[in-house]
Amino acid sequence: MTKKRRETVEGILYVLPSFILLMIFCLIPIVMSVYFSFTDYNVMKAPSICGFSNYQKMFQDAYFVASLKNTLIYVLVTVPLQTILSLVFAAFLAKKMSDMKTGGFLKSVMFIPVIASAVTAGTIWRIIYGADNGLLNSFLGIFHIPAVNWLGDTNTALISICIVAVWKNVGYFLVIYYAGIMGISREVYEASAVDGATSWQQFWKITFPMLKPITYLVVTLGIIWSFQVFDLSYLMTGGGPGKSTVTLVMSIYNAAFKQHRMGYACAQAMFLLIVVVVINAIEDKVFKEER
Amino acid sequence: MKCKKLFAVALTATMLISAVPVSADAKETLNFWFPTFASSDGEVTDVEFWEEVIAPWEEENNCEVNVEIIPWDNYEEKYLSGANSNNGPDIGYMYAEMFYDYIDNEQLVDIDEYFTEEEKQNYLYYSLGNHMGGQYGLPVVVGNPRILVANMDILSEAGIDAVPATTEEFLAACQAIKEKTDYTPFLQDWGNSHYGVMGGIFWPFFWGNGGEIVDEEGNLTIDSEAGIQTVEFLKNLYNEGYLSETCTSCDDSIEPFRNGEVAMIYAPSSNIISVDNINWDFVAVVQGSACAKTFVAADSLVLFESCENKELAADLMKHITSADVMSQFHTKVSQQPPITADDTYVGDARFENLFTEYADNFVSLPVFQAAASLYDYLFKNLQSMMLGEMEPADVLTDTTAYYNDNLKF
Repeated sequence: MTKKRRETVEGILYVLPSFILLMIFCLIPIVMSVYFSFTDYNVMKAPSICGFSNYQKMFQDAYFVASLKNTLIYVLVTVPLQTILSLVFAAFLAKKMSDMKTGGFLKSVMFIPVIASAVTAGTIWRIIYGADNGLLNSFLGIFHIPAVNWLGDTNTALISICIVAVWKNVGYFLVIYYAGIMGISREVYEASAVDGATSWQQFWKITFPMLKPITYLVVTLGIIWSFQVFDLSYLMTGGGPGKSTVTLVMSIYNAAFKQHRMGYACAQAMFLLIVVVVINAIEDKVFKEER
Repeated sequence: MKCKKLFAVALTATMLISAVPVSADAKETLNFWFPTFASSDGEVTDVEFWEEVIAPWEEENNCEVNVEIIPWDNYEEKYLSGANSNNGPDIGYMYAEMFYDYIDNEQLVDIDEYFTEEEKQNYLYYSLGNHMGGQYGLPVVVGNPRILVANMDILSEAGIDAVPATTEEFLAACQAIKEKTDYTPFLQDWGNSHYGVMGGIFWPFFWGNGGEIVDEEGNLTIDSEAGIQTVEFLKNLYNEGYLSETCTSCDDSIEPFRNGEVAMIYAPSSNIISVDNINWDFVAVVQGSACAKTFVAADSLVLFESCENKELAADLMKHITSADVMSQFHTKVSQQPPITADDTYVGDARFENLFTEYADNFVSLPVFQAAASLYDYLFKNLQSMMLGEMEPADVLTDTTAYYNDNLKF
């Protein structure tokens, strides 16, 4: 065996385990889902081809339409909010507290929500959001602000869940941003300071542009995670009140496991996949143009 | 080097031997799935309890029973994936909403032929396991009726000395409590995340007004005079201020009741026992405009078609539901009423006559297609009505249209 051939075989062998796992757990399920989305399939009996009827049904289904609208609102609220907050907190910690023990402590504290389970987060926030004796309303009461029925009103329920999601995700993105900021050479800041740049100018002209690859990652992950929202909404409101907090994944879950309509669930999942891919493609284009 | 080779050979041989199934002992095996019932601080865990009570039967029948306790979270998914990957149970446990698809897809056995007339007579609720023309379930946990519970001190402050037993009395009590006290007259958990709560906040009123969820052909019949009367009644409770304004975010009405903030709630009988700091009393059923009915849970043991020895499995079902095992279950694991005539009540003394006197007033949910999704959709529409975003009559019309267009095929 020639050296080149041996290297090729070795390369394939290195990649093979990951490739097999990827095939089994990602590619094959996606291909199967595409197939099932064109079938009438209830898991207990063999699937039968039904053409595009599952896709046609989706947009006549009030539950699905509501879930699509809610998920889009959720993405539009959480992604910018968690991106901006994590960047601001990371910049603050890097600038003011990078050499202090307090900085490390604060980073750890802000990471706690990330490792907390959705059940724990949901339970804690239900107590905080309590309409009658909730912590948030009690706090607002100090300033004579009338109590808000946070989770029991269609106007505030979804936003309340968005806030929990932001609270839960900020710590994770903060760590990524912090690492990115610490990777920027101090000399650049020193040189700009010599040229008379203010802190705001340094942030806006140095930190932010140099963190573009990180922002790309944070936004991409944020979009994907947000489109997948299920647990918080399922635990905190069950999709209510009314249909104000039902999400796309909740709709998929109900179709699959409550109605046993796996074909219809797969069609919804395919729609979700296409939406996420398209949005990420647009985002990729925007970021590439700016780079 | 030689040592390494020897070790590798020995290891391979061991693995091969352990992979070959042992066939010398021809013991039958049965898989038994049951949900979680034991409390975390209970006398025994669910697994410990079932393994202990099944052990004598295993010995007698030379059979090994694999007990698997299925948590309530994702319960239906586990059954769906288990039953369809040949890793499901031989004997399982189902509630009403689960039955339709499994019966429709011939996954469950009509167990009637395995029971003698005498045995059937002994079961108090045998007929509740009859669905879609066959005996597909053997009721095992029949209980927790949703009863109207009242804080008698608050009622007394409002000049009332008995728990309301009719809708008129109930409305009069709400009015009196609102006028004469600072307490919330009535609370319902409209903010609960699960439609199951309708067993206490909707169905008793609906059935009391003579409503039926589906007809004999499985057509949805909630959009009826009784249905409209019920939704208008509930909306009126809210509009009149009898129901707390924040009920759409309340997910547990027992807690405010326990705190003495609320005069009346509907609660499952076994849950209200834990309230020991309040002077409470109850009525089992409230007389509506047509009759007096309330919800009762009627969950059943089921036998799967995939079971190889159905006769043996049916025998295990008889053992599980025997007076001996059930009385231990009710004492050690979950306080429920007896399910057989030869068993005795061991629960709270206040509910001793509940199941003998009012058994005819208890109703469980019917079995029909996509029941869970229908209930979920109806519950969400009712929440919208409470928030003033939907007219009472539209709740039922929209739910029926949604069911017929999207859920029923």
